[in-house]
Amino acid sequence: MTNRKFQDVGFNPQLAYILLTVLFAGLSIFLFQKTEFAIYIYLLIALTLLGKLSETRRTEFLKICYGDTQLKKIRIIENLIYSIPFFAFLLYKHLIVYAGLLWLLTTILALVNFRTTLNFTIWTPFSKRPFEFMTGFRNSFYILFAAYALTIIAVLINNFNLGVFSMLLVFVTILSYYSKPENEYFVWVHNQNPKVFLLNKIKTALLFSSSIVLPIVLILAIFIPQNIGIILFFFLVALTFLISVIVVKYAAYPDEINITQGIFLALCIWFPPILIILIPFFFKKSENRLSRLLK
Amino acid sequence: MITVKSLFKKYGTNEVLNNINIEFDKGKVYGIVGENGAGKTTLFRCISDLEEYEGEIISNPNPVKNHLGLLLTDPFFFQKITGKEYIQFLCNARNVKIPNIEEKNIFELPLNQYASTYSTGMKKKLALTAILLQGNDFFILDEPFNGVDIQSNIIITEIIHKLKALNKIVVISSHIFSTLSDTCDEIHLLRNGQFIKSVHKTDFHILEAEMKQITIGNKIEKLGLT
Repeated sequence: MTNRKFQDVGFNPQLAYILLTVLFAGLSIFLFQKTEFAIYIYLLIALTLLGKLSETRRTEFLKICYGDTQLKKIRIIENLIYSIPFFAFLLYKHLIVYAGLLWLLTTILALVNFRTTLNFTIWTPFSKRPFEFMTGFRNSFYILFAAYALTIIAVLINNFNLGVFSMLLVFVTILSYYSKPENEYFVWVHNQNPKVFLLNKIKTALLFSSSIVLPIVLILAIFIPQNIGIILFFFLVALTFLISVIVVKYAAYPDEINITQGIFLALCIWFPPILIILIPFFFKKSENRLSRLLK
Repeated sequence: MITVKSLFKKYGTNEVLNNINIEFDKGKVYGIVGENGAGKTTLFRCISDLEEYEGEIISNPNPVKNHLGLLLTDPFFFQKITGKEYIQFLCNARNVKIPNIEEKNIFELPLNQYASTYSTGMKKKLALTAILLQGNDFFILDEPFNGVDIQSNIIITEIIHKLKALNKIVVISSHIFSTLSDTCDEIHLLRNGQFIKSVHKTDFHILEAEMKQITIGNKIEKLGLT
């Protein structure tokens, strides 16, 4: 299925796997360079990703197909396969105890199942202006709170890099709110022209993302004031990057962001000044794409 | 008023709508009937500007989509959006402010629960409530009675009568003839992408009898039930 997804967006699966491996290794090295708490963050990320495989409906489906005993075997094997990249990196770092702990937890996780969709309604501060931040907050509130906790730890241990990491973690989480194109009905329903629609999306994104990130910025600015310039730099670049993700999303709409657009975004991370050209270019493209649905 | 002139729609080589001509006047309720695949939903999507088409759709006010409440056969909902937030979203999209959404909850839906947990009928009622609160002038209701309980069917019928009294345009599709005969001023029969028959209220019983005759024929006898 993953191969098909890569092929659908015109990407050679083998090449995609190589790039993903490089990206995974790069991010892992970056994380372990930046904070001494990397091992805990790493284990948390691995288990959170694996937790998705323990979803009740998925497990029930497998149980119907394969029966109880087979199900346990399948779940353990797939969890172990999924955890291989994390396990390999921990071994590479000579963290053998943690690697063992990861596989133990991975095996235990395979034997439990839980609903990833909760039955109760999670409160959100964004319910007045649906939908990206409202649904996004409900899906990722624990990451946001973890980022706040990291910020406090960063201040306590006077680790500025960890503080910046927590701010960027929030921004990356917010970017994920814009990763999927919504059903066309929810664009069509607006009585705005494409330009007003896009400007409103950007305005909401800037306002809400600032309100989420501001506590981190303020804490860092108050307790590590000597680096306020760097904090504001990252904050502004991240906001600009958020705008670019929105315009790129609607430039591809109703399709998902394609590889070419993804490369443009990656170039912006490498060299942010490109954003000055990229945002107006994709804004215009978005207007054209949306003109079919918005008049 | 909305006028559809010489409307054609093709998907590849498959012609779904073939020279559709119809006029929708204010204060009238129109029923569109036809078998599955006859082109009803495609016609609605064309009128709503959700599809590109050949031909002309003239409306006053223009563009029609900004004044249109569209109830889809199978309304789509985001994961983790409550009923109340869904209504809020649709009202925000039309710059309509509703101070107290709970007060307007005539179908007594659990508005603070995620809409994705609703039953089929509840989802339909939620989507209908939302488009009604948008304050539209024109409504397209694609199978509004489908999956909805009897009590709510009665309410929906009354809502349609009220919309007519308020001089709105309402277009409905339904597979239950009685729901159309209770609400519509005209019924148009769509087959293979063409209107093959249009009747006014006085002749609904003739249309129903004809449809029964054509649809049933001797099919039941073929079953050889004993």
